[in-house]
Amino acid sequence: MYDFDWSSIPGALPFLWDGMKISLEITVSAVIFGVVWGTLLAMMRLAPVKPLAWFAAGYVNLFRSIPLVMVLLWFFLIVPQLLRSFFNLDPNTDVRLTSAMIGFALFESAYYSEIIRAGIQSVPKGQVAAASALGMTYAQAMRLVVLPQAFRNMVPLLLTQAIVLFQDTSLVYMSALADFFGAAYKVGDRDGRLVELLLFAGAVYFFICFAASQLVRRYQKKLNAHVAH
Amino acid sequence: MISIDNVSKHYGSFQVLTDCTTQVKKGEVIVVCGPSGSGKSTLIKCVNGLEPFQSGNIIVDGISVGDPKTNLSKLRSRVGMVFQHFELFPHMSITDNLSIAQEKVLGRNRDEARAKGLKLLERVGLKAHADKFPGQLSGGQQQRVAIARALCMDPICMLFDEPTSALDPEMINEVLDVMVELAQEGMTMMCVTHEMGFARKVANRVIFMDKGQIVEDDSKDAFFGAPRSERARQFLAKILQH
Amino acid sequence: MNYQWNWGIFLSPAASGDSTYLGWMLSGLQTTVLLSLSAWAIALALGSLMGVLRTVPNKWLSGIASAYVEIFRNIPLLVQLFIWYFVLPELLPASLGDAFKQKLDPVTQQFVSAMVCLGFFTSARVCEQVRSGINSLPRGQKNAGLALGFTLPQTYRHVLLPMAFRLVVPPLTSEFLNIFKNSAVCSTIGLLELAAQGRQLVDYTAQPYESFIAVTLLYVLINVVVMTLMRHLENKTRVPGYLGGK
Repeated sequence: MYDFDWSSIPGALPFLWDGMKISLEITVSAVIFGVVWGTLLAMMRLAPVKPLAWFAAGYVNLFRSIPLVMVLLWFFLIVPQLLRSFFNLDPNTDVRLTSAMIGFALFESAYYSEIIRAGIQSVPKGQVAAASALGMTYAQAMRLVVLPQAFRNMVPLLLTQAIVLFQDTSLVYMSALADFFGAAYKVGDRDGRLVELLLFAGAVYFFICFAASQLVRRYQKKLNAHVAH
Repeated sequence: MISIDNVSKHYGSFQVLTDCTTQVKKGEVIVVCGPSGSGKSTLIKCVNGLEPFQSGNIIVDGISVGDPKTNLSKLRSRVGMVFQHFELFPHMSITDNLSIAQEKVLGRNRDEARAKGLKLLERVGLKAHADKFPGQLSGGQQQRVAIARALCMDPICMLFDEPTSALDPEMINEVLDVMVELAQEGMTMMCVTHEMGFARKVANRVIFMDKGQIVEDDSKDAFFGAPRSERARQFLAKILQH
Repeated sequence: MNYQWNWGIFLSPAASGDSTYLGWMLSGLQTTVLLSLSAWAIALALGSLMGVLRTVPNKWLSGIASAYVEIFRNIPLLVQLFIWYFVLPELLPASLGDAFKQKLDPVTQQFVSAMVCLGFFTSARVCEQVRSGINSLPRGQKNAGLALGFTLPQTYRHVLLPMAFRLVVPPLTSEFLNIFKNSAVCSTIGLLELAAQGRQLVDYTAQPYESFIAVTLLYVLINVVVMTLMRHLENKTRVPGYLGGK
């Protein structure tokens, strides 16, 4: 039977916490950017201007049909070179975190856009008609009437997607960037305690995501009770 | 045939049935009526064990429904039931709807089951629709198929749970006609329904329920002639206004 | 920037000698497809079983199934993969763990770990879809099955599951697509599937754009093929007179 030895974890906690901060940074920036860009994509897709709708549909379908791993590989192997040559950066500048953030943001916005599009479509058509009848433009009707209603219904889904995104940030491990999982792996590898560190990382992810999803569930219940009235 | 003895049921602290007692003899037709939420549907579902109850006894053909040792599936295969929303199986053709339980529960062979199904389908006047799917029939037609499906099992008695209340008005009669015919042939029937015309025509007794209790349990003539309780009188007055 | 495009690179002999770079790409594609299909079989079987358990009227069984879902849904796929690959063989009884590490060649070890990991990971999602499919059927359907004398397992087998599965074909399609995409994560344990071959090509040929574009297009192709097949299945299983059927 395997002999567990958890002693390398306590000393490594500050390093692991630094890693967690990177994971959270990527998550938060991708959520914010993803929601903003995703909303724009969703509006383009529903807009009466055909080329805009085509562009948005193409963007969303492309990103949704390729693996996140593939997107990240593009952003780790190829985009840094582009960035360097465009901005004349010193070849030693570490652009990995920036690349990761941009990669996640562009990828996730495709998924956010689909959630937001469904949310917008769930608002009855009469609402747009009513707003237009009051003299509002399409943009005004969206901003003042449709989106506020749509977002309220979408919040639980957006949050659930954020939890998925947080889990997916572990994939930056591929770029040797020390996010939480990367940090745990490094410590385990260094001390020959990979088994303990991997189990520890799994447990930490589980507790964070489980707690977060329970909160979302509770929020959803409250929302449902509210809507039922 | 069916004996219900002091049956009570509650969901948590909510009392659904309180001390219900009644009997249905072989060949009798009993109509159960009452306002919505009075527990009549729950009571009829207790008879074949679809709803559990906490106290009292229900005996069907000598078998105790509440006894944990009772093989409920076997008992249910001998008690026909017709539901408010028909509950035909949407993914099967009408023929398969009629034969599946005969084959899988009674162990009849395929040809035998199909022949029996077709015979009963003809009886409810829908032989031409044998190869269609439930979604392609009207509500009234679906309910007639549902009755035929129950009859395929050669039931010793039939339970009807508001069989016409989900139907458009013009389809109610085609279903009631089948039920009347069945009653006149001597089938033992317990029917939860608001169709008082049906009750007048074929019922032996009428049970009136309110708030989980059996308030009246009387012969048809006594019930329609002079209901003893105020609540039953109000109920009848309301029904007649429709 | 002056990048030298060279699409002919795929036809030149690969460093391994016995094949072209196109051959590498195709063997990666083959691994991705095999891995995804075998993992899907596990996911469908386990997920359906758990989905049924989540709906049965037994607190213990439904509790076990819901714990199962929470565990596989709240740990990142990459972490699960590493646990299956690096941790589990250590925790198995010595004889079994050693057999896994020594008797099996590395490629088989990677493939088996990846397959089991993807299968379990996806099964939790399939479980939730199957459960919501069953729960979305009218309650009376179960009663109707029972009232005809079916036992509870028979009611599931003949009445509830055939309809529930038809209802969940669209969401299962998206899980099926996900399994192909998620299989790319398995490149991290060294399995030479499609994404890993693309990466290897970059190292060997110094033509990053061609190989990444090719790999990306192959994933898009997989997506299109799967969607077409599933749409066909959806049409085939459509019930007449029900939910958009004729």
